[in-house]
Amino acid sequence: MPFSKDHIYAAATRLLAAAATKTPCAPIRDLLGPDAIDDAYAVQQQLVREYLAAGRRQVGHKIGLTALSVQKALGVDRPDFGILLDDMAFPEGAEIAFDHIMQPKVEAEIAFVLGRDLPKEGTTLADVIRATDYVLPALEIVGSRIENWDIRIADTIADNASSGAFVLGAYPRTLTSIDLQLCGMVIERRGEPVSTGVGMACLGSPLNAVAWLARTMVRHGTPLRAGDIVLSGALGPMVNVTAGDFFEARIEGLGSVSVGFSA
Amino acid sequence: MTHTRYSGYARALDTAARTATPIAQLTLTEPGLDRAGALEIQRLLMEERYMRGERRIGLKLGLTSVAKMRQVGVNEVIWGRLTDAMLFHDAAELAFSAYIHPRAEPEIAFILKRSLPADASLSETALAIEAVLPAIEIIDSRYENFVFSEADVIADNCSAAAVVLGNPVAPRDVGNLGMVMRLDGRVAQLGSSAAILGHPLRALLRAARLAADAGEPLQPGDIVLAGAAMAAEPLRPGAYVSVEVQDLGRVGFTVSGETP
Repeated sequence: MPFSKDHIYAAATRLLAAAATKTPCAPIRDLLGPDAIDDAYAVQQQLVREYLAAGRRQVGHKIGLTALSVQKALGVDRPDFGILLDDMAFPEGAEIAFDHIMQPKVEAEIAFVLGRDLPKEGTTLADVIRATDYVLPALEIVGSRIENWDIRIADTIADNASSGAFVLGAYPRTLTSIDLQLCGMVIERRGEPVSTGVGMACLGSPLNAVAWLARTMVRHGTPLRAGDIVLSGALGPMVNVTAGDFFEARIEGLGSVSVGFSA
Repeated sequence: MTHTRYSGYARALDTAARTATPIAQLTLTEPGLDRAGALEIQRLLMEERYMRGERRIGLKLGLTSVAKMRQVGVNEVIWGRLTDAMLFHDAAELAFSAYIHPRAEPEIAFILKRSLPADASLSETALAIEAVLPAIEIIDSRYENFVFSEADVIADNCSAAAVVLGNPVAPRDVGNLGMVMRLDGRVAQLGSSAAILGHPLRALLRAARLAADAGEPLQPGDIVLAGAAMAAEPLRPGAYVSVEVQDLGRVGFTVSGETP
């Protein structure tokens, strides 16, 4: 289907309807092909255009598939990204309605907030370090509009990288004060560890993930800007959410962040 | 009668370890073996080692990950004894031929400066720590194919085979330290010390109680391995294994023998 955009609109329409009715839909890979990464990003852009037209505001990006094991499971060799919108942000300790995010799971990450633009094609680690204003611990609530999370790479990219909501910790730290590679991570539910990990689990270092995103966004013609939030990718396995759950994530050296789900 | 049978099992496990030759699971011939019986076999097995001149230097805990406990359906940790013959230090060389099917686990070790009674509180336990160390435990089941029941593994001294200790550092909060295990320099396992019962100090608290209940309370100088934070990796001849722990540093060893 190289000369028509119909399949892009069809996929976007299916995902938008699923989100609007809170009813999971069939995968969209039948429309694009399971490995059609460029088309999948075109679907994502279409979704975001609709969201922005409806008055939502873009506040940053999330990076996904930053664990090698997850990349392997999806048969890809790179991360993916999605767009963060203003109404996805919840305050520290918030109670989110359980049915607000479809098929929710939580993962703990490091959020970067940029103090400078990153417009260069060959953005390096050094550029990212220089551009980072501060970092925060974050919980991302991922969700899927696709029934039973039956996703291949095209499905998750088209579905805005399975994004849902996010919570940022409220104590900013500078990069020089923490060990981004060896920082331990734990998510606890009622005091019991349900996910553990370490900074290195995110592409060797969350800085690598942000550098990848910066280069990728330059190629897409929409470079990262000062003020952007970047959720850099999970530091450990994601956790299924049940109604009534409350999670606290701690990242050693960065502090903690928590979120609840109404019963 | 029971004692004679148990002594036989203990000798069989001891011989299996000394000759690096696996044996069949005890529970195949002793299906009713329970935790108490298994601990008695372990005690007799250790008597064999002490009679050869080995000295008890501490203990190790197993099944300290909440996920693992739930997986095998128990909510109590298991434990084994460490002896001086099992002890190695950073940059050691371990002989592959000395083991049956050895695996390496990333751990955090404690060295104590005070004894701990069975009813030690968490703060007493914390204050009894002389030093914390990055460590790698080598586990090596004496059973064929590394397959066993809970009673089997307890009798087998919880698969304890060797421990490689890094450099001691002053006590600090070890509740959520990032950990990485590398094989030949490449990342093999990633995790956090929080996987150890939510906090390795809780493992030490349990160790104090278990050791005191067995009539050999933890003493100054004892080494306690708090349990694995991530999955074990099989060793192969020629391998270099290292573990790095946030704030604690790195420990490593090589496995001697030809690379197959």
